[in-house]
Amino acid sequence: MANTAIISDIQRASFHDGPGIRTTVFFKGCPLNCAWCHNPECIKKQPQTMYYPEKCIGCGECDGGCYSGARVVCGKEMSTDDVLREVLLDKEHYKSNGGVTFSGGEPMLYPDFVLELAKKCRENSIGTAIETSMIYFRPDIFEYIDYIMCDIKIFNSEIHKKYVGVENGTILENIKRADALGKPILVRTPIIPGVNDTPENIRDTAEFVSHLKNAVGYELLPYHPLGEAKRKALGLESSRFDIPSKEKMKELKRYAYIQ
Amino acid sequence: MLTYNDRLAEIRKTKIQHTWEKIENQGYMNADDYGTVPLPKDYKVEKYSNRDDGSFFGLDGMREMFCRIVDAHPIYVDPYEMLCGRWSDMITNYRTSAAWLVNYKTKNQRWDEERFPYEHLKPLQEKYNITSGIDNDAHCAADYSIGLALGFGGLLEKVRHYRTVNPHRKEFYDAEEKCLVSMIGFIKRHIEEIEKMLLVESRPEIRENLTDMLSANRAIVSDAPKTFHQACQWVAYYNCFSRIYTRDGAGFQLDSLLLPYYERDIESGILHDEKAKFLIANLLLIDPHYYQLSGVDENGNDITNHLSYLILDAADSINIACNLSVRVHDDCDPKFLEKAVECLLKNKMGWPRFCSDRSLSQGYMRTGASIETARQRIAVGCNWMCIPGREFPMNDTVKINIAKVMEVALGEMKSEEEKSSEKLFSIYEKHLRKAVEVTAEGVNLHLDHVAEVTPELIMDLMMHGTIENGLDISQCAEFYTVGVDGAGLAVVADSLGAISKFIEEEKKLTWEELYDNLDNDFATEKGERIRLMLQGAPRYCQGGTVSDAWAKRLTDSFVSAVRSQKMPDGRQLVPGWFSWSRTIEYGKTVGAMPNGRKAGAPISHGANPNPGFRRDGAVTAQANGIASVQCGYGNTAPLQLEFDPGISADEDGIKIICDLVRNHFEMGGTLININVLDTNTLMEANRDPSLHPDLVVRVTGFTAYFATLSPEFRQLVVDRFLSAE
Repeated sequence: MANTAIISDIQRASFHDGPGIRTTVFFKGCPLNCAWCHNPECIKKQPQTMYYPEKCIGCGECDGGCYSGARVVCGKEMSTDDVLREVLLDKEHYKSNGGVTFSGGEPMLYPDFVLELAKKCRENSIGTAIETSMIYFRPDIFEYIDYIMCDIKIFNSEIHKKYVGVENGTILENIKRADALGKPILVRTPIIPGVNDTPENIRDTAEFVSHLKNAVGYELLPYHPLGEAKRKALGLESSRFDIPSKEKMKELKRYAYIQ
Repeated sequence: MLTYNDRLAEIRKTKIQHTWEKIENQGYMNADDYGTVPLPKDYKVEKYSNRDDGSFFGLDGMREMFCRIVDAHPIYVDPYEMLCGRWSDMITNYRTSAAWLVNYKTKNQRWDEERFPYEHLKPLQEKYNITSGIDNDAHCAADYSIGLALGFGGLLEKVRHYRTVNPHRKEFYDAEEKCLVSMIGFIKRHIEEIEKMLLVESRPEIRENLTDMLSANRAIVSDAPKTFHQACQWVAYYNCFSRIYTRDGAGFQLDSLLLPYYERDIESGILHDEKAKFLIANLLLIDPHYYQLSGVDENGNDITNHLSYLILDAADSINIACNLSVRVHDDCDPKFLEKAVECLLKNKMGWPRFCSDRSLSQGYMRTGASIETARQRIAVGCNWMCIPGREFPMNDTVKINIAKVMEVALGEMKSEEEKSSEKLFSIYEKHLRKAVEVTAEGVNLHLDHVAEVTPELIMDLMMHGTIENGLDISQCAEFYTVGVDGAGLAVVADSLGAISKFIEEEKKLTWEELYDNLDNDFATEKGERIRLMLQGAPRYCQGGTVSDAWAKRLTDSFVSAVRSQKMPDGRQLVPGWFSWSRTIEYGKTVGAMPNGRKAGAPISHGANPNPGFRRDGAVTAQANGIASVQCGYGNTAPLQLEFDPGISADEDGIKIICDLVRNHFEMGGTLININVLDTNTLMEANRDPSLHPDLVVRVTGFTAYFATLSPEFRQLVVDRFLSAE
């Protein structure tokens, strides 16, 4: 039986999910449950209906399919060939250093699918990158991944558990294992005011990253509330945080400097 | 000490002030800024006419009106600038203008319909919403090397000499002579003005600058320019005259033609890069003519040079509305392309734009031109190319609104018993051929008689064979490769795609329901739901969709109809996709369409997809789609991008855009106009233009100050931008 995955979106011309021009495939489902998640539609694995009442035209024919954009089903079961077909549309644009990025959600929730798709990408000379929580690790999959992006959201394991739902020991361990494979790794920390925006957290994380042989950088990403509209559309409660100030980001960046 | 940067800051401040004054005096412009300065309230020109209705035509009419404007035109000298040649009034203001030029002063005709009527063409022109090109002007390019070599005095001598050779063309030479005398007089009045300013100016640095200006003006009033400063000054004056005459904005290969002056002056020690940069910045400020940078010579060698870089630096330093095109080729200096992209990303002012040497040259060769000639056909217009001095292409003046042609086809099929997308397409093709035939008749009428209506007296001074033979360029061009652009591609492709999907494939809609909704502009019981369903059909530019396939078929069909049209006397028609900024105007003539577009709404922009074609607005998808609908004969189907890429002008960001440019051209793309905008700035400026008076957007091929656009036009730019977000 063909491998399938629930895909929430495929975004072409992605400039922020790895080097160069990329197509980002968003997998649906994530074992973590970060309160600040900007892709809340990718937490649950099953397809979900997102509701935007302001777009409703009141035709009363919801069952016949919604064309207004008021009800949008997020999540579609796709085979690796289905996804590859979309990815190949921009093949001409990948050639210098771009490619496909597996993101989500957590792509590693679909390990066999990712492995098969990554192999097919390599057969087509398409570079691969992954944005993963690093909660899972499979060396056979990472063999086919050219560039790894992962978060260390909070360095203190207890606080990590409080906000993310799990301790971070496995994540840190898996990052080291991935490093041992010799793959370039970009580590990121989303800066959430009141949660992880302390010099100590950033300094400790930077210290950890500095010991990775293949780290290509350590980035701090300011929290943004773009996930809020989607939370509303999913019927979830608001989970808004403050946006870190430019000054705060500047201050923390000083601690993120890797020796 | 007053630095060049201080002076640029002053000049920019004045520019913003001028923009506000112009809006106050003239209202919204919806067109290129042209670099004009506001006119004093007491300025007045006595209008000339040689027809009962007040119109003016021909050698006599055009010459007299030109001379009256030039002779009466106020003199503007800014002591912070280094060049003169600012202007404001133009002949166009005294004739009925095209609808997109909002401000005009009279209802006088632009075409001599008394002598050259085309009543017999008008019904079909209206039926297919054809912009015929009849009555248009300029849209060819002069060869500046001719003028730079001779100077205004040399041109005058040449005119007088050939009058003795061709006495039967005396009227032509007399007109040229009078124009030149007025032009020289205009420069002399600048000299007097500077002399007057010097009498009262006490600031030493400004005195020094005015003295420099005086000397450059005196040097070129009659003689050919010898220095870089003089050459820039000469070009500024010529541009000003050509604008006043027919709004001509075609420039030249800026980095090549001025290079000998630059190198000579640097070698002799009278010029340094900072001064050269300031002079170029000043030239760009005076008038946003279309200039090409980089590219190849006749033999295919890269012509990028130090001046090419300096011109980008100059444009960067003044950072106003610029129309600089970088010609990208296979051996293009990568550092130059990177620098050009850096300017685009850093300044977010819509310049430079990029054109592809390979696609344009190889395409033009298919018209029968040699590779050497094709390489000389440079970017000098909104969406168009021209061989300076040798071609009369009427480019960007002739359009067929294919959305209107499709509306006619839909109307014809309505009474047929059997209906299908194939049948509709075949009826459309029949009407398209008719539309092209009528278009060709209009083009031929224009070419046959424009010399008697609007002879290009100013450009004729710098064309090959014009002065030598006493003929207008429209009568003696080496190449008549006349551009015919189609407009509304995405509307028609998506309409056919929606029919294929919902009527033929999924059978969710019947033909009767479709016609009922088109007739009622979707104001039926289920109209809005049906409209939204149709809008949700797979669109052109999404990649591999039914509408993408239709777009390619529409292109093949358009190319075939245009190319197979028989033309007399070696003339040929050259297809392209471009709507200019007439998407609103064209849209008003077209009823509801099967892609869910409501009656009267704007049609799609050039070869671009309809707004909202993809949720992610992927620029790659757009680049691929537009590369696939190129017409292939050396005219363009531009990729018009407006987006906030959220990337910095750093190494990674520059690489991404360089890749995008190269990839589109490798796929066959011809021209890329990019608006890199900041979302917040654009939204703020749309709410209150006074917050960002210096915000420049590339509306289509031309750039304009956002604040000078009408609210309707501003919204169009914003909508296009948002749909790509």
